[in-house]
Amino acid sequence: MLKALETFLLNLAVAAVIALGLMITASVFSRAIFNVALPDTIVIVRELMVAAIVLPLAAATLARSHVAVEFLANRLPPRAQAWLAVFGSIVGLFALMPLIYAGGREFAHNFTSGGFFYGDLELPKWPGRLIFLIGISLCWLRLLVLVVQDIRAIRAGDYSFADTHAEGLD
Amino acid sequence: MDASTIGLIAFAAVLILLALRVPISFTLAAVAAVGTFCIFAFRTGTFMPERAIRATTSMVFSNSFDLIHSYDLSMIPLFIALGHIAYKADITTRIYHAARVWLSAVPGGVAMASVMGCGGFSAITGSSIACASTMGRICTPEMLRMGYDNRLATASVAAGGTLGSLIPPSVLFIIYGIFTETSINRLFVAGILPGLLTLAGFVLVIFIWVKRDPAAAPVDTAEISYADRFRAAALAWPAFVLFIVIIGGIYGGIFTATEAAAVCLSLAVLIGVLQRKLTLTSIWEAFRETCLQTASIFFIAAGAKIFVAFVALTGVAPAIVDVVTQAELSVFWLLLSIALIYLLLGMFLDPIGIMVLTLPLVVPLVETYGMDLIWFGVVIIKLLEIGLITPPVGLNVFVIANVVGKDAPIDRIFAGIARFLSVDVIVLILLMAFPVISLLLPNSMM
Repeated sequence: MLKALETFLLNLAVAAVIALGLMITASVFSRAIFNVALPDTIVIVRELMVAAIVLPLAAATLARSHVAVEFLANRLPPRAQAWLAVFGSIVGLFALMPLIYAGGREFAHNFTSGGFFYGDLELPKWPGRLIFLIGISLCWLRLLVLVVQDIRAIRAGDYSFADTHAEGLD
Repeated sequence: MDASTIGLIAFAAVLILLALRVPISFTLAAVAAVGTFCIFAFRTGTFMPERAIRATTSMVFSNSFDLIHSYDLSMIPLFIALGHIAYKADITTRIYHAARVWLSAVPGGVAMASVMGCGGFSAITGSSIACASTMGRICTPEMLRMGYDNRLATASVAAGGTLGSLIPPSVLFIIYGIFTETSINRLFVAGILPGLLTLAGFVLVIFIWVKRDPAAAPVDTAEISYADRFRAAALAWPAFVLFIVIIGGIYGGIFTATEAAAVCLSLAVLIGVLQRKLTLTSIWEAFRETCLQTASIFFIAAGAKIFVAFVALTGVAPAIVDVVTQAELSVFWLLLSIALIYLLLGMFLDPIGIMVLTLPLVVPLVETYGMDLIWFGVVIIKLLEIGLITPPVGLNVFVIANVVGKDAPIDRIFAGIARFLSVDVIVLILLMAFPVISLLLPNSMM
């Protein structure tokens, strides 16, 4: 269920990246050829960016693609490495809580007050906040599931999950 | 407890958590949240948790959301997607094949072609790791099959991969631009000459290596006609077109880096589809990889942004600036100290991690000394580039080691890397001594 939801959100993020790429390209050509600016391109791209970045977070967490420094930890026995992976996820759970709390508050505030972006289309502010809240909350849920699964795996003597790590990002 | 003490404790906590393999993004966000809570909770002398919770959550949300909710930064997913699409459409590999065909008769020609291929790959995508990983799969097995010394076959690609950080577009430049609030367009243009200088240096290393030890690189005896050479060069046209659109567009002031990324991505997809190299499935797959990679990069950047805001609250950065100013360090000693710290950190940490940890402290210092932030950005990226191939944690070296497996043990790759490192150090010294190398092009931009 959770995995299906993550895949769905990842696909939505893909659609968001494609949409923002097309939107900017269309804006460039519209400006160059017709000397006309597409309305609210910047606002729409900014809202799409939230979807593009936050929606895949849970899937990225499942793939354990959060970059960590492994130089010292890799010298520890596999069991210790496995516990460190669990510890990292617990720190993640803690780190995301203020974001979920504030994200919920921001969404509720903008939804009830009818906040909108100044521009031709006067687009509402709440969709971006809602997407942020959904993405971060699902990432938190995935971390929680990972913590439970990893602790179970350690108890069963399986430390292989600790070998999965990000390759580096730059 | 005063704010600067909380700041110092927070830095120690970050180092401890990082050593315990806690992901960089979680570490920075968690420590910054706790630190900010402590500062606000004890600000008036009495413990006031409600006020601190509100201030902390507002600070954490606004810094992370504002970073993500950005038009300019949409260039990061777009450039990453461009790299994936260009690879799947065979655009990047054709640069290598063109160089490979033209240099086939030159001793060490395949290794030189690999470095040039890396340069070409870097001119389209912005990731060193992706460059080393992709070119490593293409070039290194071919060199090993031809009987190249495994040190040369692996080290040339590991070193060549680092060009991805310096030759625009570069993800590291974009992140540096975010945190120093400098023009990403100017940073991109500033990286061109240093990137080409490094590339030329790497080719020179291969030339001298093979001249002194011809057995390290057997000459390809296959006869290649000029018609085949020109055909190979002609096939590489999409890469040249994309590079010209990116750099020409930015340098000529026709569009911003973000617009260049979007236009080139659309162009690359169009070329790939028209040449029947891309299917809907492969395009979707490229974008899925892009999304996962982008999410991780932005999560680190968001954690860093929160941490930077927290550091500003602590007043640690001005305190360090005061200490250094009072010590009356000359520019030379300051730069040398910064270089040594970055080289040391580069041995253990991921480049993005190093940048986000150090920039909040280093940039105020550099500004106090009146240094140009564009030039300093090039120097920092060069230092980070060196960190990608220095032992014990040279990320590019490990990427190549994974690609070649038992054919080249890690110590053999590092043995080969030493020669390329010497060029990197020379280029670094030149960049530090002659800022004009970095600033000539950005200062002449329209």
